[in-house]
Amino acid sequence: MSTAAREFLRNAAQKAADRANQRNIRRAIEHYNESAREGRARFLDWEAARQQCHEIKWEALNHLDEYLVEFEERVKERGGHVFWAETGEDARRYVADLAKSRGVRTIVKSKSMVTEEIHLTPALEKIGIQVLETDLGEFIVQLRNEPPSHIVMPAMHLSRGQISKLFQEKLGAEATEDPAKLVAVARQTLRRAFFSAEMGITGANFLIADSGMIAITTNEGNDRLGTAIPRIHVAITGIEKVLPRLEDLALFWPVLAAAGTGQRITVYNTLIGGPRAADEIDGPEEFHVILLDNGRTELLADAEQRDVLHCIRCGACLNACPVFRTIGGHAYGTTYSGPVGSVLTPHTRGLAEFQHLSFASSLCGACTSVCPVKIDLHHHLLQNRRNAVRASDRPWLERAAFSIWRWTMMGQRRFAAAGQLGRTLLRGLYAMGVEATPLDPLRPWTRRRAASAIPRKSFRAMWGQGGGKE
Amino acid sequence: MDHTENSGRERILARIHSGLRMPAPKHSAAPTAQMVFAAIPDPLARFQDECAYNATECVLMRDSRASSRALADALAPVPEGEIYIQDAPALRRLTEGSGIDRAVRWSTEGPPTEASQATVTLAECLVAATGSILISSAAAGRGASIVAPVHIVVAEIAQLVPDLASAVARARKSGGVTGSSCLCLITGSSRTADIEKILVLGAHGPRRVVVILARQLD
Repeated sequence: MSTAAREFLRNAAQKAADRANQRNIRRAIEHYNESAREGRARFLDWEAARQQCHEIKWEALNHLDEYLVEFEERVKERGGHVFWAETGEDARRYVADLAKSRGVRTIVKSKSMVTEEIHLTPALEKIGIQVLETDLGEFIVQLRNEPPSHIVMPAMHLSRGQISKLFQEKLGAEATEDPAKLVAVARQTLRRAFFSAEMGITGANFLIADSGMIAITTNEGNDRLGTAIPRIHVAITGIEKVLPRLEDLALFWPVLAAAGTGQRITVYNTLIGGPRAADEIDGPEEFHVILLDNGRTELLADAEQRDVLHCIRCGACLNACPVFRTIGGHAYGTTYSGPVGSVLTPHTRGLAEFQHLSFASSLCGACTSVCPVKIDLHHHLLQNRRNAVRASDRPWLERAAFSIWRWTMMGQRRFAAAGQLGRTLLRGLYAMGVEATPLDPLRPWTRRRAASAIPRKSFRAMWGQGGGKE
Repeated sequence: MDHTENSGRERILARIHSGLRMPAPKHSAAPTAQMVFAAIPDPLARFQDECAYNATECVLMRDSRASSRALADALAPVPEGEIYIQDAPALRRLTEGSGIDRAVRWSTEGPPTEASQATVTLAECLVAATGSILISSAAAGRGASIVAPVHIVVAEIAQLVPDLASAVARARKSGGVTGSSCLCLITGSSRTADIEKILVLGAHGPRRVVVILARQLD
């Protein structure tokens, strides 16, 4: 078992037993479910929207090279810079060098999972630059020195009491249970930063090839301040975020809002194509877009799972997942959690180390059914399992057990005999008081659950007698 | 930029190219009606409904004179301090007509400052389906719709389009896409629900968004 797998099992067990954590997660997701139901109902045909999104993303990803080059040309025409980063290290170095050469001391940052993925903030802090998260949820988790626990709701694992205490300790704020007052504290603190920072860093929700514009979506407007006031704007994004045409946003903006939060449309949908133009009043002098690969081209080469790159990071699959709802985002130990994270991470960080995530699923398919771009998530989890077995990455004992199981299953008599033997043995052991002790062969199940009574006859025998009676 | 030697570019493009040799399966579905959104029979009514829903104050005015009064009314509760106004002839006239007596900073004097108490701008167009305002940096700038606690937009009914697709088409046609470094679709006031999913208005941007919608401005 890999180190990551051992940690995952330990953290998952701990989080699943943490009542306060459970309460916070349940509150957020119940609220989301209600809004998302309303959000989807506002479409005349939600399924048609999903299908169209799937087809547009399919088109974009399957001609990715052409669209990226088109995007780059348009950005350059307006005087922007495009940097292609093969790795997180390339991207970090580019931003660090840029910041140093421009005398940047403070950076205001909008929410971006890609910057989490490449650990940008610690790298910039190491060279003495102050980086402030400006999305409220991200601001909160930054003060706590922890990563976001959800793609869209970074602080969903915290209660207002915990946040108030945090603000008292770190910002010297007064104690309050009023969310509006807590928001005001963050607004006050960050407002000064917006007007003094030299650089704004954002992600991008979409890259529009035909217009050379990045699209950023927020409800708070922090991205808008960060791209209006500081003199340099750097957008860091994955190469997969491309949409062919500006017109596609007429579909993707409402779909992202419906799936992400249940809104009809998010408050601020900003399109940025370059630095401040000659005749404009304000805006940054420099505009840089960093296109990050970091393993994405490898996933692209896997035709079977290429559609994972369709992901628009709405978080719907996380909210639908019974595993995520039980353990929360932090237990995964990865930047992207939930079903999409379990599919994605083995591709970017190695199947040997992160295959366990694909096994931490009941394969119920809830993720696939809610995905607004129709990623075949639960089948990809299954394919990751298959690939792990093929790569002989599973323990020999498990492989041997499955060989025997398979052989047993293939013969009617063998199967019946094995069932008989199992029931007899188990009854004998339980009669000796082994049940729920470490010696119980069903230990993984009975550790946290009561064992069910062991029937005397097999299901087949009961069925033959024409009823469920023994 | 001194970094522009970018050897990663060719390597990434080559990897994409070779990675795409094998086609990806498409998830086909039974043909649907293809109408994703419901038709909008009455754009004005829809716009007003959506504004009410997303906490945008929308006031419908007959002409410039009425709009001037609406502007004065909208500014009445705004605390002492500077008002930032996009320097456009229509807004000059409206401001003079409103008789407001307070410090005004015009956009031709520079970008809005931290001290702005309210900003007044025009819009590219208004979107009925979502109750949104489309703003371009070429006209209104970037900061004017976000820095102050109050943002007032003055528009004519002729600028109202039914849905997002028509807003994009209109922006393309008017040159708003190629002619602006930044476009922003604004729907309601700045908000957050990051604390226990409780909605709080006025996160980083305006808490109040007001649309003065005139049947006609002269």
